[in-house]
Amino acid sequence: MNYLKSSYAYWDIIYLLPKRSRGYIKRCSAFTACITLSACASFSQDGGFAVVQQTATDKLHKNVQWIKSDVDRQQVNDRNKELLAQALTVDAAVQLALLNNKGLQASFDTLGIAESDLVQAGRMSNPGFSFSRLRRGDEVEFDRGISFNIARLIAMPLTSKMERHRFEQTQRQVMMEMLIMAAETRKAYFIAVAAEESVRYLQQVKRSAEAGAELAKRMKAAGNFNSLQEARELSFYSDAALNLARADQARIRSRERLIRLLGIDQFSEENTGVTSFKLPERLPDLPDVLTLTDVKTESDEEATVINKLVVQRLDVQAAKLNTQQLAESLGLNKVTRFINVLELGGVRNTSNQQATQHGYEVRLELPLFDWGTARTAKAEALYMQAVNQANQTALEARSEIREAYANYRASYDIARHYRDEVVPLKKRISQENQLRYNGMFISVFDLLADARSQITSVNSAIDALKDFWLAQADLEMSMTGKPSMISSQSTVISVSGSAAEH
Amino acid sequence: MTNRRHFLSGMGTMAGAVAGTIAAAVTGASVSKVAMAALPEPATQITPDTMPPLHPTTGRPYNPVVTLNGWTLPWRMNNGIKEFHLVAEPVVREMAPGFKAHLWGYNGQSPGPTIEVVEGDRVRIFVTNRLPEHTSVHWHGQRLPNGMDGVSGLTQPSIQPGKTFVYEFVARRPGTFMYHPHADEMVQMAMGMMGFWITHPKTKHPLIDEVDRDFVFLLNAYDIDPGAYTPKIMTMLDFNLWSWNSRIFPGIDPLVVRKNDKVRIRIGNLTMTNHPIHIHGHEFQVTGTDGGAIPKTARWPEVTTDIAVGQMRQIEFVANEEGDWAFHCHKSHHTMNAMGHTVPTMIGVDHAKVAKEITDLVPAYMAMGDSGMADMAQMQMPLPDNTAPMMTGDGPFGSVDMGGMFSVVKVRKNQAAGDYKDPGWYQHPKGTVAFEWVGALPEAKRLSPEGTQAAPENIKPEKEIEVQIRKPEGHMHHP
Ligand SMILES: [Cu+2]
Repeated sequence: MNYLKSSYAYWDIIYLLPKRSRGYIKRCSAFTACITLSACASFSQDGGFAVVQQTATDKLHKNVQWIKSDVDRQQVNDRNKELLAQALTVDAAVQLALLNNKGLQASFDTLGIAESDLVQAGRMSNPGFSFSRLRRGDEVEFDRGISFNIARLIAMPLTSKMERHRFEQTQRQVMMEMLIMAAETRKAYFIAVAAEESVRYLQQVKRSAEAGAELAKRMKAAGNFNSLQEARELSFYSDAALNLARADQARIRSRERLIRLLGIDQFSEENTGVTSFKLPERLPDLPDVLTLTDVKTESDEEATVINKLVVQRLDVQAAKLNTQQLAESLGLNKVTRFINVLELGGVRNTSNQQATQHGYEVRLELPLFDWGTARTAKAEALYMQAVNQANQTALEARSEIREAYANYRASYDIARHYRDEVVPLKKRISQENQLRYNGMFISVFDLLADARSQITSVNSAIDALKDFWLAQADLEMSMTGKPSMISSQSTVISVSGSAAEH
Repeated sequence: MTNRRHFLSGMGTMAGAVAGTIAAAVTGASVSKVAMAALPEPATQITPDTMPPLHPTTGRPYNPVVTLNGWTLPWRMNNGIKEFHLVAEPVVREMAPGFKAHLWGYNGQSPGPTIEVVEGDRVRIFVTNRLPEHTSVHWHGQRLPNGMDGVSGLTQPSIQPGKTFVYEFVARRPGTFMYHPHADEMVQMAMGMMGFWITHPKTKHPLIDEVDRDFVFLLNAYDIDPGAYTPKIMTMLDFNLWSWNSRIFPGIDPLVVRKNDKVRIRIGNLTMTNHPIHIHGHEFQVTGTDGGAIPKTARWPEVTTDIAVGQMRQIEFVANEEGDWAFHCHKSHHTMNAMGHTVPTMIGVDHAKVAKEITDLVPAYMAMGDSGMADMAQMQMPLPDNTAPMMTGDGPFGSVDMGGMFSVVKVRKNQAAGDYKDPGWYQHPKGTVAFEWVGALPEAKRLSPEGTQAAPENIKPEKEIEVQIRKPEGHMHHP
């Protein structure tokens, strides 16, 4: 909104009052006006935070708190303790982040700053007084003066409105940041849990390889293996150790990222009242049915459903408001037609008189104006720029929702396939291999190789499950704002599966 | 049909037992009933048990054989011609208790029934093909018209699925023969298609002694993956099942004889390797091959005779030593069932400590093989479905640790003539069984070497190779 600000210049004029003047107050009729005006712009009870809190309740089903006092801090600390008493759930993680993330608190502070700007804009600034005493020989000259911002006085109705807009933008900004932060926490949580799970499995792989290596050494010592056979088993072991180290590295990174989002420094008990958090052993199970199925991508309703979601998005709403405010500030009022920014570039000629209520929910219509009344080409350019930006925002939103939904469906199918097909099959293979070991058809080394391969498939299943939960977080986010859509760093590791090819 | 009743009534003393196991085959949809009307009704066998000898009631008399885990095909006389009906078809053969194979065979079993005729008989054999592909029957070793030799494409058109062919010839030469397909032969033999043929001498033959018991069986080999049912027909060398009449130990019936019986055993080899067949406790002579009887002056005593691929041997001995005498192929892998030929040797590798780690990961794991493979027979752990253990067999003194081509010749004083029923384990006279020495062991005497190597080596090894032998100490038993 830079151009908004730059459109208005602020300047102070200092009125010098006549010397030895006494009645300056009376002469300043404008001053009274300013006192009257200032009464309409005072600090709100909640500093504009209630809307943010409402959003947290509506969209996240969580509480959010703007910590301003020791009492607030104590309340948060108590809640922290409660939340951290058991292994962390994803909801607890989001709640913790909402309460403790310092970046979020900082953005609440922006809200405070924006509000004070708003209040400031609605107030006449305090008049400045000056007094000077000059001596010229025995002549003493008193010079009293009063100064105040007259331009501000003139511009006050306009700037107040602008600051109101700016404040609302800030509110939206803060809400967006909060939602994004919640989504990121969600994702970071799943990544961290999956990473811990992976480490445990890779420890098992390592143990299996270790057993194989130890056995191979003994085989060599007994003269049953040659150096080549021994070296092969040892190399499985060294690979396994490497994979474990990598997984542990990923675990530490994911945990630290979660710590940053939660705003809980496990080494600073003072701040949070807690020392650490404990992650659960496993990711939540794959749901039996998909819950977020509002988005239908195959039917004719697709556009309708997606558009409905698009108009709910905060970024889209912001873009729309932006054009409205811009139109206002540019003094545009004579609407000639409407353009639906959801219909890629398609201009709809809609008369001003016609009801635009019809299907409004799923349309995002912006007015076009009679440029003849606009004074400058710059105004038109500015406005069209905003319209195009709104168009782009809406287009991206649609695409993001579609992508997020497709990703959600696909990752569900993949995770389910792992759960219902891949892992049970691997398990069956292992059972059959056990029977073959019993019958002396395969060796213990084959059995160990199979165990490694089974664990790898379980690990891939965990990865797929994690991808599903990430996709769900992205889909949820895509319905309120821009999703990050960054899939986690894959923790799938390759484990050389078979020692059978001796 | 009347001829079936005729078969059953002609089965002598054992007829009752035989009748229970022979049933008329349901005529396959692929073979027209009308077309079959003029044929002898095909008999079929539903069990893999050893059937008592089929004493002839028609035709020339002879002393019948006993087919190990098999049976003899009934016939009908038709204007002086002996008519048999072989049906080539898919069968389910129980190779050992708990282990069945999907094979191809004749008249319900693999191998097919033994055909017994007498020298000079005119024989007519109807062969019906119920296989999914063409076949033919070659009468291995017979003197016959060239067009009856059964080589498809060469001496006859092949028998298409659903068709019946007639072979007819005179059994000119007494002796021991086989029959098997000569069309897609490799596949059909890998699937178990083969059978025995005996031509008994018409009159007393100077080189063919009369015997009290005359056993016959074929050597065959299969490659069936553990848990599977059907042989891998493309296998050339690495067979995992070495069988007698498509049976493996402990599924092979014992050869039950009466003490002092003169015993003949006829063995034909249709595997792809040779088998040194060995008997315990007796010496035998090879008295004939598929080429005929061996002159008495050319026979010599043996305890093992090697039977090469495509050969037949008939061995004879007097069973004058009582007991349960092992009788087996002397290739030790052939007295094992399916095993992993690439499993490394674990002997001497103490993996007790490692075993704990492995069990954490593979809960059902048990350390095996560090003192040999006999663990396998003793532990009795669950195996894949439809799989015979590599070594097994519960004898009177413990596990026999055997599989494959292994059986027992049971010689008993009180076995009635013509009785082939298993008499149970041999009751050893007191003091005739090996026993454990419980006294002190004297120090082993070390002898100083006297020999030397033939020539010094060119390149000496860098360091002397140490040979470590882990000697058993204390109790070596596994949990
Ligand atoms: Cu052999």
